[in-house]
This record gives sequence, structure tokens and C-alpha cells, in this order.
Amino acid sequence: MSERSYRALSLVAVVAVAVGFGFAMAAPPERIQGEFAKIMFVHVPSAWLAFLAFGVTMIGGAVWLMKKTPIWDRVAASSAEVGVFFTALALLTGMIWGYPVWGTFWDWSDARMMSTAIMFFVYVGYLALRRSIPDPETRARRSAILGIIAFVQVPIVYLSVTLFRTLHQGATVVRADAPIDPVFLRALMINLGAFTIVYAAFMAWRVRLARLEDELEETEAVADFDIAGSGITAPNLGEVPGDV
Amino acid sequence: MKAGGFWQQAKEIARKDLLVEGRAGEALYITIPFGAVALMLIPLAIGTDRPLLAEVGPGMFLAVALLFGMLVAFRQTAADTPPQRELLTLLGTDPAAKFVGRTATSTLLLLAFEIVLVPVTILLYNPGRIPNWPWLILVMVLLAGGLALVGTLAGSVTTGLRTRNTLTPLLVAPLSMPLLLGSAQVVEALRREESILPWITLLATMNLAVAVIGVVTARPLEESSR
Repeated sequence: MSERSYRALSLVAVVAVAVGFGFAMAAPPERIQGEFAKIMFVHVPSAWLAFLAFGVTMIGGAVWLMKKTPIWDRVAASSAEVGVFFTALALLTGMIWGYPVWGTFWDWSDARMMSTAIMFFVYVGYLALRRSIPDPETRARRSAILGIIAFVQVPIVYLSVTLFRTLHQGATVVRADAPIDPVFLRALMINLGAFTIVYAAFMAWRVRLARLEDELEETEAVADFDIAGSGITAPNLGEVPGDV
Repeated sequence: MKAGGFWQQAKEIARKDLLVEGRAGEALYITIPFGAVALMLIPLAIGTDRPLLAEVGPGMFLAVALLFGMLVAFRQTAADTPPQRELLTLLGTDPAAKFVGRTATSTLLLLAFEIVLVPVTILLYNPGRIPNWPWLILVMVLLAGGLALVGTLAGSVTTGLRTRNTLTPLLVAPLSMPLLLGSAQVVEALRREESILPWITLLATMNLAVAVIGVVTARPLEESSR
């Protein structure tokens, strides 16, 4: 991708978010929750994008294990970082919404909140593991395995509202008889599209940065490597005494 | 150690780990007293209200068993040095057998840890009689097994890293939350005389899932530590 493509993608992401924000603000207040319901337009896409990001991390790790191509490790790592960002955003917006609507920022008995928080910390651990391993191949292999194991969290978080009947509402949008007003659904889908473009932009920049980091690492490794050790100087092949 | 069958190798690894632990006494003389001290510190922090302590006692036992049990699961005596790893590889030891053997040792040590903590909890917190309490023995076994499995798996992921001691708890703590949740809910269900089957199923499923993952990933993780 050229420099112009990166900038164009970023611009499209900014425009998409602005459009999404416009649709969210234009939606009428919800009958019971009022304006607070509009947090949903950030909360739900963030949670879905986190699932997508962690799915990409798992796929990236699995493909790296099969092909051993560095790009897949970069994709997996970048997606995990972006996924952690979206998970944090989903948790934060959920808590902001929860206080006026549920009366509390955090509900300990809520399966969705608890499982999402666990998922967040599992992927924070994934990123911490990556930072702890200097060797690129060992780092890629171990984090690929952890990325595959960690993905188990995603269906648990998704199904938590079905398996446990706690405070968080059940699946709404994916149901055939979706109990959501078409105006809200449209705004939600537009924001989901906008967040997906933001994810793509974040990924493009982060993968590029990861490639540059790898190149820098390689350059520094070569520069630091003294042939035969620094105690030996190269022979002088200039003038040889007695040579005519 | 002779390269025998899978179970023979697992048994030998477990025996070796127990022997090393027996000599070093890391879990027995350090972590177990540390856990007992933690149980003493909590009432000082939350207040000495006896009914409250009786109420939270089993929960405190589970929290201490989980947090300090992690120290048992990835004790220094369970970490192979590079020459030890190379020797085991040259002997043709199956990495999965190593995982199973190491998990077995950790399970035994964690059970011992829990057995010591139970009377300490009863004496300090006086939680009262829980109906059908023998079921808690099964919970202790499943908790010890699950924590040993998660700890051994995380130990394999962090083998040879300088940050192993700090990184492993970060990996283990969130992954072992279902164990804490299941165990705590069994205690609550027994108190309310309700069915404990869903929570026992959760604990057993967690154990089974991590065991399968541990066995399947043992070889690639072993290869990455060379």
C-alpha cells in the first residue's frame, strides 16, 4: 500500500465515523432510556469489532503456524492490539450506560460484563507475552498458540447472555424477529460499518508499523554483529613491504 | 530415565518433579504458610465481624487457594533449565507426557495446599456446617486439577522467559476465573440446598478443555523453547 492509500483509508474512516455519529444523533430518544440508549451506537459495534479482531488474531496465528510467514504474525499481533482497544471501549461505554440505566457502573452478577472483562485481561496477557519474547520466531510461535487458545473466550462472551439469564439483555439484532426499531437498526448498522472501516484503518497502520519495527530490529541486529568479534581488526591489504 | 510408553514417561516426570519438590520444599515450606498468613490478613483488612467472616470464609478460602495456588502451579522446581529440557528431548520424552506428568504433580501439591488451608479457614472464619459438605471434596479436586492444568499450560508458554514469574500469573488469573466461579457457586448452591450439577459440569468441562489444549499444544510449545 502506498502512503496515499494509508491516508485515504484514514480519511474514509474519519468521514464514516462522522456519518455514523450523525445518524446516531438523528435517531429519536428511546422510549424508556431516553438519550442514554445512543451509547449503544458505540458500545455494540465496539464489542462486535473486538470479536472480529480476536478472530483475525486466531486466524493470523493459525496461518503463521502453517506457513511461518512474518506477515501473519504481524496481522495477529496488530489485530490483538486493536481488539483490546475495542474491548476496553465496549467495557467503558457499557459502564457509562449502566450507571444511569441499571444504577451501577459494574454488576458482579452479570455474565456478559464478567466474561468480557476476562476476555480483555486474557488478551492483555497475550500482548504482555509478545513483549516478553525478544526472538521473533519464538514470539510468533508462542503467541500464535496463545491466540488460538484465547479465542475460546469469544464464543463464551457471545453466548453468555443466552447461557446465563442475568442483567445484560439477550441477543437482539441477530434474531429473526429483531425487537428493535428500524430507525435504531439503521443507525446501528451504519455505525457498525463505520467502526469496521476504523478497524481496517487501524490495522493498516499497525501492520505497517510492525513491519517497520521488524526491519529496524533486523538492521540493528546486523549493525551490532561484529565479524569474528570486535577484538580482531581486518588485515591491511594496502602496501606490502618489498612488493614491486 | 528410560524412554517407555506415554504413561510410563508421564509417571517418571511426575516422580522426578515430586522428588525435586521434596528436596526443595518450595510449595510445602514457603507457599503453604504464605497462603495461611493471607487467610489471617484478610479479617484484619475487612473487619473482625464474626457473622461476616463466617459468611465470606469459604469464598476467602477459594480466592487464596486460587491466587496462592498459582505459586504452587508454577513454582521454580517445576521449571526445567535449558540443559534439562535438552536432556529430556534427547531421551525422546513425549512433550504431552511431560505436560501430563507435570500437571499430576501440581495437582497433588495443590490438593495438599488446599487440605492445609481447610482447617485454617475453619478455625479462623468458623463458616458453620455446609449441607452435603462432602461434595466440596470433589470441588477441591476439580479446582486443584484445573489450576494445575492452566498453570502448567501457562508455564509452558512462558518457559525460559525472564518475565516468567510476573507474566504467568497474568495469563493464569483470567483463564482460571471459571474455576473460581464454579467452585464458589457450588458452595452457594449447597448452602441453599439447590442442584450443584451445572457448576460441577462447568468445572469438569474446564478441566477437560484445558487438558485437551495442553496435550495438543505440548509439542509446538516444546519446539519453541529450544
